[in-house]
Amino acid sequence: MSNLTCPVNNSVIKLKEMLDSSLIKDPKCRRISEELLELLEDIAWGRAGKDHIPAIESLAKELIAGGPDDVCVDVGAQVQEALSGHLEVFVSHVETHNCSSGACIKLAPAPCQMACPAGIDVPSYVTLIGMGHDAEAIEIIRKDNPFPWVCGLVCTRPCEFMCVRGRIDKPVSIKFLKAFAAERALSQGRYRNPDKMPDKNKKVAIIGAGPAGMSAAYYLALMGYTVSIIESLPMAGGMMMVGIPRYRLPREVIDREAAMIRELGVEFRFNTAFGKDITIDQLKKEGFEAFLFAIGAHKAFALGIPGEKKYPQVIKSIDLLRNVALGDRQVPGKKVIVIGGGNVALDAARTCIRLGCEEVTIAYRRTHSEMPADIEEVEQAEEEGILMSFLTVPVEVVGENGKITALHCLRAELIAREGSNRKYPVPVDGSDFFMEADAIIPAIGQAVDQQCLENLSEIKWTRRSTIHVNRACMETTMKGVFSAGDSVLGPATVVEAIGGGKKAADAIDRYFSGIPQPKLPPVPVRRGRIDFIDVPASTKMNLKKPDMPLLNFNRRRITFQQVELGYSENVAREEARRCLRCDICRRCGACVEVCRDKMGINALNLGYLDFDKPFQTDFRDTADRCIVCGACAENCPNDAMQIKDVGDERILSICGTTLNRLKLEYCDICGEALGPAKYHDYISKRLNTLAKIADDRTICVACSRKMAAKQHNEEIIPLR
Amino acid sequence: MFRRGDKIEIFKPSTDEGWQDYMDEFIGLHGIVTDPDTAINDPDALIEVSLVDKGTHRLPQDCLRKID
Repeated sequence: MSNLTCPVNNSVIKLKEMLDSSLIKDPKCRRISEELLELLEDIAWGRAGKDHIPAIESLAKELIAGGPDDVCVDVGAQVQEALSGHLEVFVSHVETHNCSSGACIKLAPAPCQMACPAGIDVPSYVTLIGMGHDAEAIEIIRKDNPFPWVCGLVCTRPCEFMCVRGRIDKPVSIKFLKAFAAERALSQGRYRNPDKMPDKNKKVAIIGAGPAGMSAAYYLALMGYTVSIIESLPMAGGMMMVGIPRYRLPREVIDREAAMIRELGVEFRFNTAFGKDITIDQLKKEGFEAFLFAIGAHKAFALGIPGEKKYPQVIKSIDLLRNVALGDRQVPGKKVIVIGGGNVALDAARTCIRLGCEEVTIAYRRTHSEMPADIEEVEQAEEEGILMSFLTVPVEVVGENGKITALHCLRAELIAREGSNRKYPVPVDGSDFFMEADAIIPAIGQAVDQQCLENLSEIKWTRRSTIHVNRACMETTMKGVFSAGDSVLGPATVVEAIGGGKKAADAIDRYFSGIPQPKLPPVPVRRGRIDFIDVPASTKMNLKKPDMPLLNFNRRRITFQQVELGYSENVAREEARRCLRCDICRRCGACVEVCRDKMGINALNLGYLDFDKPFQTDFRDTADRCIVCGACAENCPNDAMQIKDVGDERILSICGTTLNRLKLEYCDICGEALGPAKYHDYISKRLNTLAKIADDRTICVACSRKMAAKQHNEEIIPLR
Repeated sequence: MFRRGDKIEIFKPSTDEGWQDYMDEFIGLHGIVTDPDTAINDPDALIEVSLVDKGTHRLPQDCLRKID
């Protein structure tokens, strides 16, 4: 076996070809082949467990024994042959998650895609946006995330933290590009849901219409399952709807994306509280065989200080946000204190400003630099006039006649505890002070409300009061019951919930199909290899990350209008061109090594290749020394580095970024393109003898050899 | 305390129940904190970390240390 081929990868390719070719016509045979493919892909991506190989063996045998035609027998035989002939390679893939040939690894996703909890193929869709193909970009995103518009507005963008462009200057604005494409493609109706698979006649009940529940519903519906979502609120969206304020995420965006899920036949039962209005036994009687609990973390932590429960003007942040989202826009008070330093505290404070509160203060027990909220959120809140009181520890809610008058606080000092470099706020005795207030909004975290699941005794809970699952597949300790989103992770992010929902959908499908669950979380799947966008090196370096235009401060204080106004078309297309296409360039450094060590030229100044110790990168520097010899392109394992002759020029590029272009010279004798003068000089120096033969003429190697041979013949004394 | 954008290393397995078997192979990997606990700076919270070539995961904080 060549070291460039891998029996696992070969089996995947062959089986995919068979399935795509429509040669497999028998439905049972096709189902088994698809299951085989799924198991083989698990192995190829290092997700398989010890049950995978026996399951493949058994399915292959089933095909060989059951037929019913030669094609099916052939599929089974091919898989069995690969397995028996290279069992140790399959076992190695399962046990070490490593493919020594590199064939499986070669398909590994870019860092941004790997970082995305939903596993979206970022480079592909960013490139499509750069090309102006917004609907195609959304099609790629929705293969892994049914909420491209929502995520374009509220994602915490882990992808941008891993973006390799960030090692050169600033990461690509992946989130804003997604919002741009989604807004255009969805508002103009240029994107439609994909086709569903045939009905499987299996019913799945999902509890919770938040991002996790709806994502699972979307993928299950596409797979052909009958899905119903049970939701206690009167609308879809869950925490996206009642936890995120409208100035960050307009309701219309959620409604539009939820409607696309409903369009697939998913049933929504609103105003139906699980455990109260409906039970699992009732659902089982209705024919539901699998259940996904995606109930979120809607229960607020209490402050635990005197007076907290005494006054109705103490409003939990999550209640305030929910009431406002559901249309109750009463002003909580004139002088409001929000307690906490996280994102929810910021959301509550900014909501109060918009409701018309005269003075809103955030009381936080640490300092500005320790605030756990996103820095952009803090900055925007400060711009909107929200006051901050740091090192403030609330000790009592003070009031009279049933109304709050003040918050009694102590000043805090940050003190490091022994054995820890972490500083903790410690109240200073005698530092009492009173903050005048008529409403207090605690925002110190949320937890999962366990009450609705108290009758499901088989479900195990963690010490963090979240549902215990196998996080590789979201399976709970109760058979046929899965969970995803905040109910598993505690208050987390929308995109994590979406990723969890997708994982759960896959696991539910496996549950129904009776195939083993993966032992590792899924590795994101690349959705294509989109052509490069050609960009000159100078443009690639000069393009700067654009700022997001924001609504002016005054309007922000009085309306729930969206604060981030979105990129214009020109800005979005330009921004997409900053992408380095790390789905193709794997940053192996082979190009740099061959240029520096073998050719002795050292023209590639690519400091971004290293994660831990990146140094300066300048694509423009290459042109100074590069001779366009093509050694880098020849040694590139993934065709990221390319060399081609266009017109009378030879052009070197990396993932579409032109590093160098030089005029070609042509052979004086045969007219063949020789390469540029710099390259020719370099070769001539290395081929001294031939260079002498050629003198000052520009001659290709073949013609030089012919001339040398001729000269050699003329110098030999003829035999007598 | 971990902040968003901190470079980290997984230097040991965690004894926390949030540590799952498959995470053993993450030991020694480097990554970036992408979503720390955004509510209360709780040292006990699971925080979101993106690991080089291994995806994004919620991990207990006791197995993480900052690197330059």
